[in-house]
Amino acid sequence: MQKVLIQDIQRGETILEARGITKKFPGVVANDRINFEIKAGEIHAVLGENGAGKTTLMKILFGQYQPDEGEIYIGGKQVHFRSPLDAIDLGIGMVHQHRKLVTAHTVIENIILGHPRAGKVLNIKRAEGEINEFCEKYGFSIDLKAKVWQLSEGEKQLVEILKALYRGAEVLIMDEPSSALTPFETEKLLASIEAMTRDDLAIVPFITHKLPIVLRISDRVTVLRNGKVVACIESALATEKSLAKKMVGRDVIFRTKRAQAEVGKPILQVENLKVISDKGYLALKGASFSICEGEIFGIAGVSGNGQCELVEALAGLRKVEGGRVIFDEKDITFASSLERWQLGLGYIPSDRIHVGSIADFSLVENTTLNYYFDEDFHKRGVLDYRKIRELTKEIIAEFGVAAPSADITAKSLSGGNLQKLILARVLSRKPRLLIVYLPTQGLDVGATEFVRNKLVEAKQEKAGILLVSEDLDEILALSDWVAPIYEGKFMGIIQGENAQRELVGAMIAGITLDEAEI
Amino acid sequence: MRLGGYKFKLQKRVSLSGWQAATISLLAIISALALFSLIFILARINPLVAYREIFSYAFASSYGLPLTINRFIFLLLCTFAFIIPYKAGLWNIGMAGQLYTGTLSAYAVLYAFGVNEFQAIRISPHLIIVFMVIAAALGGIAVGSIAGYLKGKFNINEIVVTMMLNFITFWVVSFMIKEGGPFMNPGGRGESFELPSSLQPALIMGIPFTIFIALGVALLLYFMFAKTKIGFKIKAYGHNPTAAEYAGISPLLIPLLVFVLGGALAGLAGYHYFAAVPGVYKIARTYGSFGDLAFYGIICGLISQGNAIAAIPVALLFGGLSIGGRFVQGKLGMSFGVDFALLGVLMITLVAFQFFYRYKIIRVNTQ
Repeated sequence: MQKVLIQDIQRGETILEARGITKKFPGVVANDRINFEIKAGEIHAVLGENGAGKTTLMKILFGQYQPDEGEIYIGGKQVHFRSPLDAIDLGIGMVHQHRKLVTAHTVIENIILGHPRAGKVLNIKRAEGEINEFCEKYGFSIDLKAKVWQLSEGEKQLVEILKALYRGAEVLIMDEPSSALTPFETEKLLASIEAMTRDDLAIVPFITHKLPIVLRISDRVTVLRNGKVVACIESALATEKSLAKKMVGRDVIFRTKRAQAEVGKPILQVENLKVISDKGYLALKGASFSICEGEIFGIAGVSGNGQCELVEALAGLRKVEGGRVIFDEKDITFASSLERWQLGLGYIPSDRIHVGSIADFSLVENTTLNYYFDEDFHKRGVLDYRKIRELTKEIIAEFGVAAPSADITAKSLSGGNLQKLILARVLSRKPRLLIVYLPTQGLDVGATEFVRNKLVEAKQEKAGILLVSEDLDEILALSDWVAPIYEGKFMGIIQGENAQRELVGAMIAGITLDEAEI
Repeated sequence: MRLGGYKFKLQKRVSLSGWQAATISLLAIISALALFSLIFILARINPLVAYREIFSYAFASSYGLPLTINRFIFLLLCTFAFIIPYKAGLWNIGMAGQLYTGTLSAYAVLYAFGVNEFQAIRISPHLIIVFMVIAAALGGIAVGSIAGYLKGKFNINEIVVTMMLNFITFWVVSFMIKEGGPFMNPGGRGESFELPSSLQPALIMGIPFTIFIALGVALLLYFMFAKTKIGFKIKAYGHNPTAAEYAGISPLLIPLLVFVLGGALAGLAGYHYFAAVPGVYKIARTYGSFGDLAFYGIICGLISQGNAIAAIPVALLFGGLSIGGRFVQGKLGMSFGVDFALLGVLMITLVAFQFFYRYKIIRVNTQ
């Protein structure tokens, strides 16, 4: 295998091609005779719902999986990847969605880690010069001596990009590049991507949702559905609607209308709540609000402004430093999470895989997580698994969780289906107050629509809902009240009808309501 | 990989049924015995003869079988002491320490009633036996709960704590039974005083009553993990403590609870071996080797995959091989350590075969 192949390729020529890729897993055909081609200097987005086969295709192109059938060509010559090392040697780089960095090390150490030239003696000085060249060329700014744990998500991603470039990547595969980024960081990322393609680098972002981003930056889009390529089109000729339709296979309504519901008595009152973060600083600096039955209270903001601490304190998972929480006229400031569940509070965490579910447990056992304490489901400490299984089957059917049986493990569910299961499990308890944290993050268009509709249904059944989301459109579409949060403080609380996108957007960036209105 | 005209490939298992696990374990045992045959062949002994001697002595002779059963009860209790924390994702490496304190607590009951001095008992011996059993469990709990509490409250690694406590308790036993220690044997042979015959619990067909405790606990544990709320909470914590906490399961109580239960059972193992096994009835000079034997509870627990019922045949096999191995060593004139070598080979093979719990070999169609 020779590296020379790739560098002789001119802009606009095919650099990487996959023909007839098929990959089967027990029970599913993840990739079904996929043809895919990337040209030098092109941004070629791959779009598809969760479970459409994007990840599998990406792993095959990066050598993590070997296809059952089909061939891969680089510069017209057939290649075989035995492992990602082969792919890297041939100029393919990958930026992972879940960062693979050593957080205790510096940026530069992470970049040269695993580089063949780093071999036995580290020459950090020389590496620093070379990396700085990349930074200047593409206009990146990052402190190479900073430790990775100090960086924001956007900066960590930049480290991954630099790492791939330093290894000589000519094709850069990016997994959900914008999913963990703030709007501001996303802008910077898009600018970097555009800068990199000027040098004939081919970039392949794999994206689940965020259609506007796809349209803005990509030259071409390949849409996958059920493991097959359903379209490969010039981005200029596509619209958000047409892409969504191809992805899902039917028309999708983008804006869920704010539904009216009868507003009841206040169910949750929070007074001057203060909460400390894991790192020891005051992350929530005194929040006061109240939620009534039949209302959705939306907290908008970029991650890391105290939302996580607020939500965990309300769920009883984090100590409260000051203030009071009153649920249905009862002080629950110091109640345990179990007491809160029993009182009728339901919590849907943002981390479905590590917090909301147990991967090795069956769906029945995962349902048990929210029912083991329920008097109706155990007799003197002996759980009524038959009843829980019936319940699980019911909610799986009602929420359309794609699962062959209730006894499969949760880890075999896709992200969207797992979220549906968690939602179904919590909503089936008919909570009087529902706390939902980033409910549609990483979900595809179809599942997002489903989750939002279910939240609206719960509201109409008189549940009070606290919705915490980074997705402004989601907050604006669903909330009766909008509270933009910035550095642990609400910048104001606005009625849903009056919440203009520009206003809320300014407020989550730290501008108070008064300043914004002047 | 190619073998003859066939091509083979490793594939990750999606699921593993109880029967598949049992078959794999059985194959592992057969392979281990075949492997150990080499030792016999090197010593110019026909392995078939050796194994016939081992198994017939351990499981079919009137001398060997009771010894096997006594070891089996001991190992089974130690296995449970490992399994319960294991289900909560925690590793109890301190069965030795817990069984030492269990033993000491049982003997402390005797000491409290003045048994060692006058060999005279003022209250019903049956009552004292009951007290001894309870004290043994409490002694195990006292040491076990230290690790559980530290884990739950401060997230201190339970492996380190339990391991260190083993060393401390080892020397505490030594202090108690050797020169001048309160439990010293009047003859001063580096062992404890003996149980008076009235406090030696009655045998049922030559078997100590503790077998009912061990088998009863097996059923209880199986039921607990399969059906009960508390079993569910322990399993949930074991698979994912964060998710368990989300669901309202206390991250402080579960580690404490599993180490309390595990410690109690290890304490009972101590009572069993030093106060209920015929011919022992004292804390022997060689008590350290029973601490070592307790570590086989870990391997029995891992092989049975935390299943309390499956642990029964596994503990029986290990108990029998340790007795039978020792027997052939003497009978066939082999050098010292055959029993431990045999258990060692068995252990390594079983651990190696756990590979097949996760992968299977499939034949690939070459067309």
